Amino acid sequence: MTATDTILSPQQLSAADPARRQRRTAWMLTAPALALMVLILLAPVAIAAVLSFTNYSLGNFGFDWVGVENYDKLLTRSTYAKMFTATFTYVLTVTPISVGLGLGAALLINSLTRLRDLYKTIYFLPVMATLIAMSIAWEFMLHPTIGVVNQTLAKGCGTWVETLWPWLAMHCAEGMPLWLGNRRYAIWVVCFVGIWQGFGFNMVLYLAGLTSVHRELYHAAEIDGARSGWERFRLVTWPALGPTTVFVVTISSIRSFQVFDTIEAFYPIGAGPGKSAYVMMFAIFEKGVEQNLIGIGSAITMMFLGFVLMITLIQRWLVERKVHYG
Amino acid sequence: MAGLILRQIAKTFGETRVLRGISLDIADGEFVSLVGPSGCGKSTLLRIIAGLEAQSSGEVLIGGEDVTGVRASDRNLSMVFQSYALYPHLTVGENIAVPLRMRQLTAAQRLPVIGSLMPGARARGREIAGAVSEAARTLDIDGLLERKPGQLSGGQRQRVALGRALVREPAAFLLDEPLSNLDAKLRVHTRAEIAELHRQLRATFVYVTHDQVEAMTMSDRIAVMMGGEILQCAAPGVVYDDPEDLRVAEFIGSPKINLLPADVGDGGRLSVMGHPLDLAVPSGARGVRIGLRPEALVVADAGAPLVGRVVHFENLGSDLFAQVAVPGLEDRVVLRASPRMRSSLRLDATVALSFDPAAALVFDGAGKRLRDLRRPAANRHREAVL
Repeated sequence: MTATDTILSPQQLSAADPARRQRRTAWMLTAPALALMVLILLAPVAIAAVLSFTNYSLGNFGFDWVGVENYDKLLTRSTYAKMFTATFTYVLTVTPISVGLGLGAALLINSLTRLRDLYKTIYFLPVMATLIAMSIAWEFMLHPTIGVVNQTLAKGCGTWVETLWPWLAMHCAEGMPLWLGNRRYAIWVVCFVGIWQGFGFNMVLYLAGLTSVHRELYHAAEIDGARSGWERFRLVTWPALGPTTVFVVTISSIRSFQVFDTIEAFYPIGAGPGKSAYVMMFAIFEKGVEQNLIGIGSAITMMFLGFVLMITLIQRWLVERKVHYG
Repeated sequence: MAGLILRQIAKTFGETRVLRGISLDIADGEFVSLVGPSGCGKSTLLRIIAGLEAQSSGEVLIGGEDVTGVRASDRNLSMVFQSYALYPHLTVGENIAVPLRMRQLTAAQRLPVIGSLMPGARARGREIAGAVSEAARTLDIDGLLERKPGQLSGGQRQRVALGRALVREPAAFLLDEPLSNLDAKLRVHTRAEIAELHRQLRATFVYVTHDQVEAMTMSDRIAVMMGGEILQCAAPGVVYDDPEDLRVAEFIGSPKINLLPADVGDGGRLSVMGHPLDLAVPSGARGVRIGLRPEALVVADAGAPLVGRVVHFENLGSDLFAQVAVPGLEDRVVLRASPRMRSSLRLDATVALSFDPAAALVFDGAGKRLRDLRRPAANRHREAVL
């Protein structure tokens, strides 16, 4: 308290009102964080949103407003139809399979008494490795002639395997598939690498989730008559993993939307045969960076953000409404 | 409802012998407490009865049938866990219904959404709902059926766990320290309720606790366990008044029993602190100690066997416990007196204590009770203990 505090005019009194003073301090303390958030996160999004309605190119001094033309292109042109097909194929394949495999691996590892750490390390290795380097390794393995995959498959030709597996018999006759060069297989190969790379991460998250399941609940379930492992899973494990599952699914789907490096490594130009692996991230990179079409690139970015936002909102809703924490 | 028989149950974990051949007959409808300090194997024994743990040797008979090798879900027992183990994602009603759903509905009828469309599912569902609301009424939790366990207090959760146990008619109820997570007041209240519930259901109860007060107040019989053995199994009054073993005498009773070293003189006559007693043991007994409950001691005139200084006292309102330091004794002697004595039992006051030799419990050097006393001790029967 200073001497001036003792004599206050009515205005000063109201300024000294504790609630107002607290509010002002609160704003002052929040200001730096707020400024950074606006500058780094909100402003670029806002700029991208504005640019998505223009034909701006980097280096140009001006731009023209083109209205919703960019969005119109996205929804009408066949290239972008392919983009959406590839993106959703990837997300809808990789997310459920990598979540399922992650859960399965976590349950199996959790039931082990020995070698837990070994399995954890093995499954987690692809997560730690650089995807672009791993993609190159897969490229070698999937090479049509010298790749280990086709050489292994070729070993089955002329044996009983061929009679049991018509697909193999067909390829023994016509030649082994060009995994990366064939329009039918390309996106699935990319999905496979994505699952291979991603499920170890989900497994680690599920393992963490499993440690929080109360052991006595399994005993209670047994006493209550849950005989099979499946019943105990339904009654105890799965509900207890609810929060983990929501998180894992959200993270996996956002990561799937963001897939880029596999495709960039496999197909630096063109995003696969017949643009069959032309996912959104690659499209943003191709349009916005390589071809300097900032307008259309921004439009794709906005769509991309829309999808991610949707997933996040669904997650929020699930967490608040359906999932039990406790 | 059925009785339980345990025959020579042993359990080892690696090198550690947790249970050393336990035999116990529990009659149909009896309430038996397994009481002992932590680590005595009482919970392990309960889990072996439940089938959650396999015994290393010995057999468990439920209703006369050997259930060794029968899994827990097929033993038709109910259990209340220390942590209550309620399913957190299910409402109270759903929690209570789980044992019935698991047993009475087929796998198809239990499926979400389409399960209720299966033939017979509706009728069964109504039966189950009826049983759940009846169990809830018994426990006075019918207002909570729609809540989740996370929204309940400890006492309410405990009731839900009880409700889940009694919604069906099991062969026996197993309770694993069900009151240990409740506050003191609620514990006393629930204690009485469980005892009443037992009388009402006339079911077999096996109750594990480390709290001797719980065991004393609720049970038909108490099995005092220590070091993987049952030291004594008898009615609460007998365990208190007539313990077989020094360890039982020490464990049961609060405050703890007073132990005084006794010398064996000519003809086996015992003396305490140089005062000969009107008691004699068979000659050859060594390391004899006599146990005196706090209420067996009375304030007497000078010349009594024990003379000491009051160093601490606890006034419980109805009772007054005074700790008396007697020169020559390692432990303080605890005396129970009526509150009227408060004026004479001031701190630092010197008191002389005597006792009726008939109330003394005599133990030999190995801690076994010596009953072959020359002046046979008439057992005092007490109605209310503690």
